[in-house]
Amino acid sequence: MKYRFLLKKGIAALIAGLLKEFKVYGPVKKDGFPMYGNITAPGDMNLLHSPTHISPKQYLFPQRETLLRFSSGECPAVAPVVEAEEQVLFGVHPCDIHAIKLLDRVFAYGTADVNYLKRREKTIIIGIDCIPDKYCFCKGVNTMTVESGFDLFLHNIGTGFLVESGTQKGKKLLLKYTKTRKANKGEVKKLSQIQNQKKEMFVTSINADASTLPLIYSGSYNSPVWERIGSICYGCGSCNLVCPTCYCFDVRDDIKLNLKEGERYRVWDGCMLEDFAKVAGGHNFRKTRGERLRHRFNRKFQYQVDKFGGLFCVGCGRCSRTCLVNINIAEVTNELIEESNKHP
Amino acid sequence: MNLSKSQTNTLDISSPYISRLARIERVARVTEKERLFKIAIEDGKTLGHLPGQFIMLSIPGFGEAPISISSPPDKGNRFEICVRAVGNLTNALHNLTKRDRLWIRGPYGKGFPVQDIIGKDLLFIAGGIGLVPMRSLIKTVLNERSSYGRMNLFYGVKSPDEILFKDELLQWEKAGNINIQITTDKPHPEWKGHTGVVTTLLPPLKIDETKTAAIVVGPPVMYKYVILSLGDKRIAGHDIYLSLERRMKCGLGKCGHCQINSIYVCQEGPVFRLSDIRYLREAI
Repeated sequence: MKYRFLLKKGIAALIAGLLKEFKVYGPVKKDGFPMYGNITAPGDMNLLHSPTHISPKQYLFPQRETLLRFSSGECPAVAPVVEAEEQVLFGVHPCDIHAIKLLDRVFAYGTADVNYLKRREKTIIIGIDCIPDKYCFCKGVNTMTVESGFDLFLHNIGTGFLVESGTQKGKKLLLKYTKTRKANKGEVKKLSQIQNQKKEMFVTSINADASTLPLIYSGSYNSPVWERIGSICYGCGSCNLVCPTCYCFDVRDDIKLNLKEGERYRVWDGCMLEDFAKVAGGHNFRKTRGERLRHRFNRKFQYQVDKFGGLFCVGCGRCSRTCLVNINIAEVTNELIEESNKHP
Repeated sequence: MNLSKSQTNTLDISSPYISRLARIERVARVTEKERLFKIAIEDGKTLGHLPGQFIMLSIPGFGEAPISISSPPDKGNRFEICVRAVGNLTNALHNLTKRDRLWIRGPYGKGFPVQDIIGKDLLFIAGGIGLVPMRSLIKTVLNERSSYGRMNLFYGVKSPDEILFKDELLQWEKAGNINIQITTDKPHPEWKGHTGVVTTLLPPLKIDETKTAAIVVGPPVMYKYVILSLGDKRIAGHDIYLSLERRMKCGLGKCGHCQINSIYVCQEGPVFRLSDIRYLREAI
């Protein structure tokens, strides 16, 4: 049996134990919004079942991250900076675990990104099941459940949690800080009931098989959809910020007031922002917001899929949830599916 | 992906952003807007580049930018770049002089396939500062002149005062090694040569399309028209090489700025065969 049963009150002991060894980040409510935050005591954690508005990618790929420190003068020098500390991401939902698995591939691909990979190496991921809200559509992109990519995974079955170990590290931590017992047949049955119920809870769906989406997007390049949503989009880049698989960045320098020392850092960038593809001569390769939206959506459903395998949209619905003008990625995708059904 | 396996190696990886210290040996004015910098790498080792590749150049405090290499491959530790002052970093670079230091990393990207064009007639078509990366290739092939057939360079500039490497062009031509034709976009009182966009030079040219390779580097707007003209000459797509310009921040296939569909220009380019990107949307 792969599940262990953990009493609800056992969670506090697990968190308290983890806090002794690691920095712990988990879901909290901040300004009324579900977010990830720093956990200092078991009571800080609010094991929400609803999706957090911002993804946990910031703990693996910080919004601002120093890459180098430099000094000028007689003996100029640069020193690489790789900041990574042991940390636990607690309460990560399946969609976000899928997203982290994709980022793992991206940053290991070609020239390995040591900053991300070291941080990732030192990160323990404890997943938890969730309940979809009206924006979620993980079922439509096959990310409702997750088989790997976590150290521990908690399934809430009402009376307690069924705990799944994904790694030896996770197993040891569970053993060290909590008391669990073998889950019984009834409890496992309960879990499968809950998972079946969850499937019926989605308000948003994708009206085609996920495997057909790259082809549908590739055939939708000239769709009128792009110009229409481009005409209402503000080009604010909020969708880029909240997306768990958006990883584009800018590299910049900061110099201290002494003009001798400084640092080179990377900061999240967004392909929806106007200057993203603009070159020094002034030419902009994606001038209009419609072109930029098409690029962003295609990155999720086609371009990155070709390169890394797997859809880069994990169905978290965050971009739709945050969009100021209600551009909804699932609705747009369904519209493209409908167009493609009409003109196959 | 089995992360634990890849993780065990990460402790040994060094940061790909680490740069090498270099020193400016000479600065020469090329035109009003461009300077040619001869740079020596302080560690004494070669840059090891191929024509068409680029480096990430930085001046601490002013940031980093992709810069094409303008000199041919060299076993020594020296190389040249020719830079127009258009941004923060390039303006700062123009303020540097002999003995000033800067940082480089690279070379990056895929350059011109020098081996694949051996024995062919070469048709170089450059627009504006497109001649900068092309100079690396031209100098490379001129060093092995007997390995190639006829050579033509068609070079389009906005106005005569923007012609780069004037002396070198004269020198190359004088040596009888390459036929060079320059055109300015618009008539200019001091210009006695050809006028019109660079494609207007092509019609009279007689080529053997079975043994001609065309190398095209210029501003984004130029490619579409040059490709049409080369089509008229019946040069096959796999014999046409283009170097694409894109915004780049990392040079490592991560930051996303240079992406065209599934392609990262900094990795798969900047030099492409036309046959590989003809149907790639947003490429040309």
